Amino acid sequence: MSSTVTRTRLVIAAAAAGAVVLSGCSSSDSSSDSASAPSCEPSKGKVTLQYWNTVNGMDKVVDLWNKEHPDIQVESKNISNDQYGAINNALKAGTAPDLAQVGYDQLPTERSQDAFVDASACKTAAGAESKFVPWTWSQASFGGEGVFALPQDTGPMAMYVRTDIFKKYGVPVPTTWDEYTTAAEKLHKADPKLTITFFDPNNAEWFNGLLWQNNAQMYSYSGDKWHVTVESDQSKQVADYWQKLIDDKLVRTDLANGSTQMFAAYQDDEVATQIGAAWGYTGIRDNLPDQAGKWSIVPMPTWGADGNSGDWGGSTVAFMKGGKHLYEAAEFNTWLNTDPEALAMANELGGLYPASTDGLELPALSKGVPYYNNEKIFDVFAASSKKIDTDFSWGPTQKTVNLALQDAMAKAVAGDGTLTGALAAAQSSALKSMDDLAIPNTAGK
Amino acid sequence: MRRGHRPGAGTIAAFLTPFFLPFVLFYLVPIGYALWQSFLVVRRSGGQYGTSYTAFGGFEQYVQVFQNDEFWASIGRIGMFGIVQVPVMLFTALVMALLLDSPLLKIKGFFRTTAFMPYAVPGIIAAIMWSYLYSPQLSPVIDLLNDIGLHPDFLGPGAVLWSAANISTWLWTGYNMLIMFSALQSIPQELYEAARIDGAGNWTIAWRIKVPIIAPSIVMTTVFSIIGTLQLYSEPAVLRQISSNISSTYTPNMLAYSVAVGNNYQQAAAISVVIAVITFVLSFGFMRLTSKKAGL
Repeated sequence: MSSTVTRTRLVIAAAAAGAVVLSGCSSSDSSSDSASAPSCEPSKGKVTLQYWNTVNGMDKVVDLWNKEHPDIQVESKNISNDQYGAINNALKAGTAPDLAQVGYDQLPTERSQDAFVDASACKTAAGAESKFVPWTWSQASFGGEGVFALPQDTGPMAMYVRTDIFKKYGVPVPTTWDEYTTAAEKLHKADPKLTITFFDPNNAEWFNGLLWQNNAQMYSYSGDKWHVTVESDQSKQVADYWQKLIDDKLVRTDLANGSTQMFAAYQDDEVATQIGAAWGYTGIRDNLPDQAGKWSIVPMPTWGADGNSGDWGGSTVAFMKGGKHLYEAAEFNTWLNTDPEALAMANELGGLYPASTDGLELPALSKGVPYYNNEKIFDVFAASSKKIDTDFSWGPTQKTVNLALQDAMAKAVAGDGTLTGALAAAQSSALKSMDDLAIPNTAGK
Repeated sequence: MRRGHRPGAGTIAAFLTPFFLPFVLFYLVPIGYALWQSFLVVRRSGGQYGTSYTAFGGFEQYVQVFQNDEFWASIGRIGMFGIVQVPVMLFTALVMALLLDSPLLKIKGFFRTTAFMPYAVPGIIAAIMWSYLYSPQLSPVIDLLNDIGLHPDFLGPGAVLWSAANISTWLWTGYNMLIMFSALQSIPQELYEAARIDGAGNWTIAWRIKVPIIAPSIVMTTVFSIIGTLQLYSEPAVLRQISSNISSTYTPNMLAYSVAVGNNYQQAAAISVVIAVITFVLSFGFMRLTSKKAGL
């Protein structure tokens, strides 16, 4: 097995030591998260910015900018393979790019690693607040503390529905979670091979979107401490709900989101809905060409009268520490995420659903989509976007907590424990991982 | 006879540099760095996000490793994996090597190549390929088994470890077979002639002469396999994409990776060092244990 040895040794070197071989071995990688924002002056002469992202076709959007701005050239690099690995290693090595794509849920984690600079002094960027969907700005600015990132895209959630299946069995399309259970029972009874959806325990990001919908605040900060409420009445309500569907075998648990297996099950008419996000419309369209006209997109089922929705995914473009051209970075970043032409390209090539309010009015997002019966599906996502809780926030060790939640949910799905128990596991993982990184914390509000 | 003169220090350096430079840069330095990191802890001052720095923490990270249930669970898992998979694989490899070496088998070139071929497939690709065969939604094998009334769940909580073991076995049996086979090839033919004169049949020759003589190769392949098992990563990591029954801490290396992903590099370094020490102890322990018998 000698080659396994070499291979895994690479894994150890890269993963465990964090590929820190290349970093200048500084014993205290301390750099303060200072309250005062650095100044924002234009550089003299031509500058070249580095911009790391995971968006398909982003190089073409960047080309558009480069043509019009000979003095501010941008180099786009795709880091889809290992987004946060690349970013975190570069931060440690002091070679971080000027701008990098960071998901909303990873913003506090990255900030705890001293990843960002505050671009509040840059008028273009700071003045863009009103141009974004409120919750996105709230998260990117850490509740108004500074301009650390500009929102790029979002994943407002909605329900993808196989209307033909619902029609066939005479089941009304559900609008509340109670109705969703009833529909699940009826569909499964009508065809034992059919389930209303699947529950993927290895998808904490998706589950977090459901928690977000139910106003399950997981973190807050006061009195010099993080207050951890991953396990709360609201989150337990969501967990109990899915536990019951799983116990009653009304949802299957053997599919991983986005996998070939999932699309194969869709193709075989074994799944009737998916609680998905705006960016998911291309996946269904491109992988299931035979089912054109059978899918429709409607608001996700709701809990109460407030009709709140959730968000799953989406990213910001962050101002990274170590960049030397903050002014230029702010100019480009603002253009990239608010200019209608740039947004239209990113939407067309990368499937990004814009975080900019003007972006939501793009012609491409106002038209009917042929695959979905020419329905104006983006109206559904735009409405969803307006019903997302703006106070929701993420923790400083979100990745670790997501992994712990997934591991425990997977056990629960296999019959060892419950989803509510998984929330407890995630709660203790949050506390423990914060201890490990010396982040002051306490359980409860 | 002419006495060769001793080569100068420069010559020695010139010959050794191509080996030592990468060895130091890409092996010793990273190990040293990981070791050093494992004795550090993260500290932080002030504010919601604060300023992080590292300080010397003694054995704090190691205490955490030993108190971590996930760590011991992962060790237990690969322990089971190793106890079953390594003997199965090596026994199969040995039998195949003996068959290749025996006069009974025809078209040897064909068998040697086909048995070795899986090794030419990159491990990740092999794991992806098998993951399709294990997947109820896509697998033609499962379709066939369903037709005859069997409904196996290769990705279930009890089975998935053995599904991973099967991939490793498929990948590495041919490789181990080849090592044993080349050892068999170097046995002088006279030994067999002598044995035949003494009345030994093929069976006796195989088990009483061939196997004891190639024992050092068997020990070596066992040591490689122990090391490979302790560092198991790719097979379960790929199966994790389609089975939630493989956790993020399934094997020690996966645990180290997950911890590093959570930015706790110092803890990940300590886990890696402990894995390395366990690997070292087990492989050398096994070699010592068997050295007399194997004639090493």
